[in-house]
Amino acid sequence: MVVLLDGWWLAALLLLEMAFGLVWNREGLRLLRRPRFWTFLLTAVALGPFLIGRPDVVVGPFHLSREGLAVGLEMAGRAFGLTLAFSLGLGSLSLSDVVALFDRLGLRGLGFATALAVNLLGALREMAAVTWQTIRLRGGMRRPGLALRLFLITTIANTLHYGDAVVSAATVRAFDPNGGRAASLPLRRADLWLAALLIGCGGVLLALAG
Amino acid sequence: MSSYTVRDWVTIGLFGALWGAVEMTLGSYLHVIFPPQANTFLTGVVMGGIGVAVALTGRHFVPNRGSVFFIGVVTALVKLLSPGGARLGPFVAILVESALMEAILWLARAPRRWAFVVGGALAVGWNLPHKFVMMRVLYGGDVVQVYTKMLQEGSRMLGLDPSAALLILAVLLTIRLAVGGVAGWGAWGLGGAVARRLGRREPAPGEVVR
Repeated sequence: MVVLLDGWWLAALLLLEMAFGLVWNREGLRLLRRPRFWTFLLTAVALGPFLIGRPDVVVGPFHLSREGLAVGLEMAGRAFGLTLAFSLGLGSLSLSDVVALFDRLGLRGLGFATALAVNLLGALREMAAVTWQTIRLRGGMRRPGLALRLFLITTIANTLHYGDAVVSAATVRAFDPNGGRAASLPLRRADLWLAALLIGCGGVLLALAG
Repeated sequence: MSSYTVRDWVTIGLFGALWGAVEMTLGSYLHVIFPPQANTFLTGVVMGGIGVAVALTGRHFVPNRGSVFFIGVVTALVKLLSPGGARLGPFVAILVESALMEAILWLARAPRRWAFVVGGALAVGWNLPHKFVMMRVLYGGDVVQVYTKMLQEGSRMLGLDPSAALLILAVLLTIRLAVGGVAGWGAWGLGGAVARRLGRREPAPGEVVR
């Protein structure tokens, strides 16, 4: 929708997104506290008056274009809308939702792999750090090329060893990546509101197009 | 999917976690110490090269079709679910890189060194168009006008012919293709070295390892 709208309609959609975030998902609005995000948006606003359209306003030493400013604002608004929508969508996403979604799609193994990866991330990082320190303390850095090779081989070999233990645990629990009953996806009140909102906006767009 | 065993999914999860760990530690570190502009020249190339090496090494241990793509999906989700990782750009980049590697491996049918090299080169090579594609998606069609004008103004200020920009882009692309090719070549050797270290023979394509 952000892609299709422009001008005041885009501004209205941004306000709607913000309101949705304030009511249902404040976590998703954390993006607005990042200076990097604002730098990214303001770059578009700042470049527009210099690079687009014919200069028709003089501000100090600068010759600016009002048309460029409007285009820059619209570009920034579009980027703002898309990024905020992505952030709001993900703010409410949890690992269990992802696993349940894959389960519903018949990709139970992929959900299992994702959950495994998220949960083992800390252990793998620690394992890699210990391997690196061991190589360093044994004087491995005198030959950096060999040290890097040893580090990579040892880290991957240790990771695969760790995997053996996970496979045994999963087998003992009779986990079957190709079978079982699909878990139900919980439908929350926010989902219903979002669905209603999307249907409403879709209707407005169709009416505008007609 | 039925050809994937529990061990395959565990291995996919582990390699996804490894790639994710690299993205979240080294990636965050590089993003902090270098300005965003360095992403075009350094951060993206380094992260792409390491990611390609990890994913293709994983293919050695899960020689089923689609395994590299699934490793990419797991990595993208790990990054997405990590604190501060809910960003559209890296998510899309990881998915496209893994899809490109998978496409080449699919064309090669059996695991071969040339497929690893070409797949790796294309995956890291994607880094360059990725930036432009994402800008086009986020800012809309007007960003093309901004780029064109910036190119013209920049060439005029530096006293260069605008066609020099194409040469610069070609050089940047060649560097990426070379880094990706080296990463693919390295992954082929690394996978074999780890398999030997673990006393495993490399499984034949399509073989189910339990």
